[in-house]
Amino acid sequence: MFRTYTSSGYSPCVPYVVGFQNRWVELVSDPIPFLRPRLVGERFEGGAIPLEVLKDLAAVEELIVEVAKWSYFQDHPDRKRLPRGFSGGVSLKITEIGDGSAIPVIGLFLASANLVTGQQRIYFEQARDHVIHAIDAAENNQTVTSHLPERLLGYFDRVGRSLRDGEAIEFNYVDPAQPARLTRTTRRKLILASADVQEVSEEVVLRGAIPEFDQEKMTFTLQVTHGPRLSAPVGSQHVHTVLEGFNGYRTGVRVALQGVARFNRYNRLQGIETVEHISLLDPNDIAARIDDFRGLGAGWLDGKGVAPAPEGLDWLSCAFEKHYPDHLPLPYLYPTAEGGVQAEWSLPPYELSLEVSLDKRGGEWHGLNLESDLDTTRQLDLESVADWEWMVREIQDLGGRKPR
Amino acid sequence: MTGDTLLLRQIHPTFVQQGRVTSQAFRPTPKDENRLSVYDGDMIQPEPAWQHYTMSLGFSSIGVMAVSHAECGALDLPVEPDPEPFPEHAVINFSALQKNEIEKRAKKLRTHAEARDWLFRYVTTAP
Repeated sequence: MFRTYTSSGYSPCVPYVVGFQNRWVELVSDPIPFLRPRLVGERFEGGAIPLEVLKDLAAVEELIVEVAKWSYFQDHPDRKRLPRGFSGGVSLKITEIGDGSAIPVIGLFLASANLVTGQQRIYFEQARDHVIHAIDAAENNQTVTSHLPERLLGYFDRVGRSLRDGEAIEFNYVDPAQPARLTRTTRRKLILASADVQEVSEEVVLRGAIPEFDQEKMTFTLQVTHGPRLSAPVGSQHVHTVLEGFNGYRTGVRVALQGVARFNRYNRLQGIETVEHISLLDPNDIAARIDDFRGLGAGWLDGKGVAPAPEGLDWLSCAFEKHYPDHLPLPYLYPTAEGGVQAEWSLPPYELSLEVSLDKRGGEWHGLNLESDLDTTRQLDLESVADWEWMVREIQDLGGRKPR
Repeated sequence: MTGDTLLLRQIHPTFVQQGRVTSQAFRPTPKDENRLSVYDGDMIQPEPAWQHYTMSLGFSSIGVMAVSHAECGALDLPVEPDPEPFPEHAVINFSALQKNEIEKRAKKLRTHAEARDWLFRYVTTAP
């Protein structure tokens, strides 16, 4: 899934276009150093750049071209049209990846015909600076529209869309005073700084059931667990899975959908734009089961239950994702009256349980051999990798292997 | 009550996943003063007990499971009639036990109840 690029040697991801010297084709300049964005976050450690992030970078070109055009008209208010070939012969390309770091080096390539005037380069460099200033303004809660017009802010909808919490693209990391950090938050601020924009799109993973499938319109409805009902398009590659999900609706079959969704200004989910992946969930899927607990309010257990904290549920879902290996059987999960979660495994003759405190990020382990009557207890720190490893070993040693 | 008396336990819907019931359904919550409420099966049948619990008392239950008086006795869990809330009410008393002993007994009671299977289950059509 991930691929590391280095500055040395051939990189198949570098679409390095070169004109033929002795024939009449559009000649292309040597790359002009243009941008060196640094990708920051766990996914980019060791210099790895997930391919999906390249989409975010590809959208930068579109933004820069539009800002360069705007910049040109700012300087030439009397002109109605751009000079011929102003943007046609321009492209941004990754020329190398910084050694051992997730820093794609992006060069500006200009068609030779346009090199005569040198105007292009000026406006594209101005465009880059405007974009950097705008991102920095968003990060510092300053006025974004001092640097870019509102009508162009919508272009940020496709830039940085795959960024996750804790990740950033630093467009100007060489200047610590103005690193221009594009994060999920700054991206949202940039887009919504335009009064014309009412929705922001983001890459999401949604879990839910499929109550409707319209095979004529090739759309289906996803009933998000404890969320809205959303219509989504069905690509031919997803028909089989959607149909299985739809047929299993009454028996509780659920799916996980990865794609792009639209959110309104209040961060409410409005719709699904595209579906990249969709898969049927294991009946005991941990994240889907934890989603079930999000709807529990105070007093859920006949007046006595404490509602589990949403951030605690997020943490537990991520912790299992991170530390619980696929080859072990999935636990059964239940909310506890105290606002926690209890995980249980039946591995005859063993009955195992982990009572998780979401507040303390800890758990009480209890294992019982129903035949010998011997039991073990242990307090676990669920922020500790070592304690997760202990629990995994324990389950494995007691026969916890997933049936094939 | 005799050793064969079934002690009917109402099961909250969230305490069931893919048909499997949590051991929590067979241990008292901290607010229960270590007494687990059950219906005396000699005095009421599972379905009427479920109807009483959900309709008269207005609580949530997806169905009824049971352990026997003798099974509780084998685990040193006293069973006491407690007719104050309603005549068929009884309690399984965990008050003499430490937390891990409570958990141990809850797991054993769950296993007994599971082997006996549901005595009544409310069937829903929606997932």
